[in-house]
Amino acid sequence: MSAPLVLAVPAKGRLQENAEAFFARSGLNLVKPRGARDYRGAVAGLDGVEVAYLSAGEITTQLAAGTVHLGVTGEDLVREQMPDADKRVVLIEALGFGFATVVVAVPQAWIDVRTMADFDDVATSFRHHHGRKMRVATKYINLTRGFFAAQGIVDYRIVESSGATEGAPAAGSAELIVDITTTGTTLAANGLKIVDDGIILRSQANLVAARTANWDADQRETARVILDRIAAQARARAFREVRSRFATCDAALVETAKQKFGVTTPFGGPTSSGMLTLHCPPDQVYALTSFLRERGAEAVAVADLDYVFSKDNPLYAKLEAGL
Amino acid sequence: MDASVKTTAKVSDARAEALVASYERAGYARVSPAILQPAEPFLDLSGEDIRNRMYLTSAPGGGEFCLRPDLTIPVSRDYLASPASGQPAGFCYLGPVFRHRSDQPAEFLQAGIESFGRADKAAADAEMLTLGHEATTSYGLASPDIKTGDVALFAALVAGLDLPPAWKRRLIKDFNRKTNLAQDLDRLVLGGNNARPEYQGVLAALAGANPKGAHALVTDLLSIAGINAVGGRSVAEIAERFLEQSALGASAKLPQEVRAVIERFLAIQGDPDEAAGELRALAAEANMTAVLDPALDLFESRNGFLAAQGIDLKRVRFSTGFGRGFDYYTGFVFELTDPSRTGDPLVAGGRYDGLLARLGSSEQTPAVGFAVWIERLAAYGDAS
Repeated sequence: MSAPLVLAVPAKGRLQENAEAFFARSGLNLVKPRGARDYRGAVAGLDGVEVAYLSAGEITTQLAAGTVHLGVTGEDLVREQMPDADKRVVLIEALGFGFATVVVAVPQAWIDVRTMADFDDVATSFRHHHGRKMRVATKYINLTRGFFAAQGIVDYRIVESSGATEGAPAAGSAELIVDITTTGTTLAANGLKIVDDGIILRSQANLVAARTANWDADQRETARVILDRIAAQARARAFREVRSRFATCDAALVETAKQKFGVTTPFGGPTSSGMLTLHCPPDQVYALTSFLRERGAEAVAVADLDYVFSKDNPLYAKLEAGL
Repeated sequence: MDASVKTTAKVSDARAEALVASYERAGYARVSPAILQPAEPFLDLSGEDIRNRMYLTSAPGGGEFCLRPDLTIPVSRDYLASPASGQPAGFCYLGPVFRHRSDQPAEFLQAGIESFGRADKAAADAEMLTLGHEATTSYGLASPDIKTGDVALFAALVAGLDLPPAWKRRLIKDFNRKTNLAQDLDRLVLGGNNARPEYQGVLAALAGANPKGAHALVTDLLSIAGINAVGGRSVAEIAERFLEQSALGASAKLPQEVRAVIERFLAIQGDPDEAAGELRALAAEANMTAVLDPALDLFESRNGFLAAQGIDLKRVRFSTGFGRGFDYYTGFVFELTDPSRTGDPLVAGGRYDGLLARLGSSEQTPAVGFAVWIERLAAYGDAS
């Protein structure tokens, strides 16, 4: 048997819980056959997968090196650690958790600074007044450098910070920071504000594939199965199933429903007896049921979907295109 | 191992040695600065952008070091640390420098000269171009393209313009970084104002106020809010720029004439003698002779020295915009390229009077120099 497909998952905290929940929803239960403290696991009922529990930063490093095939990690880390990210990895799917925005934040006292252009001006006059450059505390060295270069800002120095970056201006070790924020509360508590156009990256956890990993036929097949399940689950989450049966149900009515509510007809139009199955976006469900009842439906049943498998596999297609 | 890093040790050839020997005979002492250098001065002077082209390492104690990415800063630092610091002194060098380049070896050879402390700037400038030209000649390229510029001219022009200080800073900075100048000119005409819309009323009111009183008010307001110097900028600095913005808001439109002067200035290029004539005419018409004359005198005097050193001025392509993108040059800039091949410079140099002060010198020491890309010249010599 050939080498397994290695799936890297965050080893602790909320990110691990969210990632495990995400895979579980797709019917992929991550298990640790040798006990909870093991850093190697498997997927219940799916052979040929090895689950590697690693830190988010390490997952990114190993994706870049191609030593794991798939991994869950933040886009911020991907963009920071891989200057040539698009050559090395494919971001297959945003996962809807681990949200973080990488921003430029300056002291609130800088009432004269609202935009990056203001900051650019201030940075230059700071150098003239103080004989040194402004210091930016951050762990996002590459993102900062790229963003500042794109804005033509040169009068700054980066001070590497591995934790509690927001405290750097108050502590006097930097003038401003580049850091992640979710709600902005920590920034405000430290007397900092986000520069209006200082949003460097809106990031969330992604399922990422390494382009340079060893992808033989077995590993591709395993990835196809995993991604098929994830896609089926994602499709299921995007819709509710709406069923009804009434005599006046015809193709014209279905066409109207498609236009108005964005429904799909996974199994085709109404049967000869007027039986109809629709997949409807969750926020349109009630409006759709009202519409059907107005048109003569006696009863309309709505149900959650677990999976919607389809002939195509868009996530795998995305991976294959990148290999 | 990263395959994109090409590691080929560079051994200087006889022609390069002969070139440096000729520089020694011209009175420049040969020096060999340390290959391992503190990273700080390079990052500070060239900007963070150079970081991903540098080979960095950290000492166990925490200091950051690098393989020297050029020799100007190492030679300058050694000079500053020597007893000759502040005195006129000239040095030449030949040795490897290290920069990450995606398609070329990371280690390559540079020769060059750094001349410190000479008060006769025009003559020193001309001598640098002449000695740089000797390098291409010694590799068989007798007629390289000669591009020159003089960033002091733009600085003088901007200093003489009737503009708020913020825009002057902006123009100088944009000139130095090859970006946005046209865009800035557009915004100047529009009377750009970055301030918050909700501040507009206050800013407009402050714009008409007595500057001292307005300054005191803003300073007091910041103190009332319990905001002290956070992040290295003093409350006074913040207040000053806040008020400067109110001034910008008030002067909503820049006279079209000012923009026309800048655009006309930047369009001047070609033969340096003719350019000097055009610049004189521009200065007279724009009523700016007082601010432009010192820079123009130096420019013309340098042209005279170049001609006296045997450089055919008809072959020199001068441009008022050349020299953009090199933050530390303060005056004359030049570049020699191969007309029949890539535009990569074979020799490049210029005046950087501010460099030694930025490296910590207490006095303003004039400095001028150039670097020679040995492999590029050798490739030319081999090909011809």
